Amino acid sequence: MGLAQISSKIGNVRENAKRHAEVMKKAGEDKADLTCFPELSLPGYSLKDLAYEVVDDCQVALTSLARRTAEGQRVMCGYVRQDALGLVQNSAAIMGDGKVLGTTSKFFLPTYGLFEELRYFVPGNPKTDLRVFESDKCRFGVIICEDAWHPEPIQALARLGAEVVFCLASSPARGISRAEPDGELPIESQWLSLLKAHALMSNVFIAFVNRVGPEDDEFFWGGSTLVSPGGEALARAKRDEADWVTADIDLDEVKRARRFSSFRDYRAEFHEVLRDL
Amino acid sequence: MTPELEEIVPTDLRLNTDRVSAFLARRLALYVNEYAGRTRAIVGLSGGVDSAVVAYLSAKALGPENTHLYLLPSSSTPPEDMEDAKAVVERLRIPEGNCREVSIEKHTMDLASSLGKRQDRLTVANIKARVRMILLHGFASALGGLVVGTGDKSEITIGYFTKFGDGGADLFPIGDLYKSQVRQMAAEVGLPERVYRKMPSPALWEGQSAESELGIDYPTLDRILYRRFDLWWDEKSIAADLEVPLATVERIVQQVKRTQHKRYPPEVFKLSLRSHGSDWRYPREWG
Repeated sequence: MGLAQISSKIGNVRENAKRHAEVMKKAGEDKADLTCFPELSLPGYSLKDLAYEVVDDCQVALTSLARRTAEGQRVMCGYVRQDALGLVQNSAAIMGDGKVLGTTSKFFLPTYGLFEELRYFVPGNPKTDLRVFESDKCRFGVIICEDAWHPEPIQALARLGAEVVFCLASSPARGISRAEPDGELPIESQWLSLLKAHALMSNVFIAFVNRVGPEDDEFFWGGSTLVSPGGEALARAKRDEADWVTADIDLDEVKRARRFSSFRDYRAEFHEVLRDL
Repeated sequence: MTPELEEIVPTDLRLNTDRVSAFLARRLALYVNEYAGRTRAIVGLSGGVDSAVVAYLSAKALGPENTHLYLLPSSSTPPEDMEDAKAVVERLRIPEGNCREVSIEKHTMDLASSLGKRQDRLTVANIKARVRMILLHGFASALGGLVVGTGDKSEITIGYFTKFGDGGADLFPIGDLYKSQVRQMAAEVGLPERVYRKMPSPALWEGQSAESELGIDYPTLDRILYRRFDLWWDEKSIAADLEVPLATVERIVQQVKRTQHKRYPPEVFKLSLRSHGSDWRYPREWG
């Protein structure tokens, strides 16, 4: 698989689509079966009122990019999807075999601090957006950024049959003034802990693909990471720079991890308690 | 941290200077080159620590050859400030042709006298800051550069700057660093010791001292602001923690509130369906 850690220009879908096409060409050359771009990779993240104005450009770009995908290849990218007239979602498209195979939308829309997603986007519906896709190599699910800060989306996808979960992200840098001596930010170690915990609990590969570079007063830190079902970071992209990282995965690791864990022991009563609180 | 640095920056505000200076230089380069499509940084160099650090970051980001430094003294500028500014120019290896000294005295006096009756000290001080702004933007326009502002987080937060004067820059690369942190960075990147040790002063009138004007030293001010606004502490807890009078904390917080207008664009009274202000929410980089 390939982690396409790119920088996008806010609102410039056409330019960003060209960048996607370049990376997809590379993915073809490197024989990556699965390639993932970051959250809202086509239009950029901090769209504000532009969220309503990029819908058509996103649709045109998606159609054109999907045509470039080969038989068996799967490519995930982020875009703004029109849910109903005037309503938009923070979505991911799953492309392959020359077409758009499906979409999913973000469930948890952060609205605190710099984040204002609920102001613009309609949340995804777990009943329709929790989808497992297939390539001829594996079964996989797709979530978007904040969805990884809750236990359910990855757990549900894993139980629906996903062996790999792609997490498209736009995580901005914070606390740079207090970075560790090696330059690591608190948000990097927090993400790594989260990914490892999810991978260990749900016994899946998790590919976290983060944006990189500036966008208004934000700066995305990159650091895209592939974590194994055993909680090991198998591949890591550069911090603060665009990068293209490929890695091989062995699905036997999912099998082995699940034979030696309590992944199967789901207790619905916990969710009943939570629901009734 | 060395004991010397401990005197400059409180432990709770200390920086990872390597990471922060590399990050700020990177962002500055991206902003000037890619976002603005310019090549040069235009910086007003006062001999103080803020402008020295901004000059350092500009040289690191764009190269000394693309960093243009202007010394803009008035009659209230202490001669040693200009000596210190020149030491910074030398330390950063800024080419001779990129550095210019222009007195603002005549412009200031002409403008002050145009205002009619004798002007008070503050009005003249603000004229000086605004004359510098006009000159810097003029140089920027002539050279195809951006005016890189030198405001730090302490000054921006308490509104200790002249609106449309030193507040009138294209960007503020050290606007999220408290004064103590700027001093730490200056010390750790090898700027002249006199620059980061001196008592801060806008030098808008003779003998002006920022700390006596504000009634508080910068390390304490920074620790109050950090606790109140970065960590959301209440004022009583801050006073108790720092062992400063509650009235001091309240006064500083009041100053932050009172100067909010200086950090915002001028207000537009709404009449239409969609006006500039809270419902004009487009990103800065747009199109």
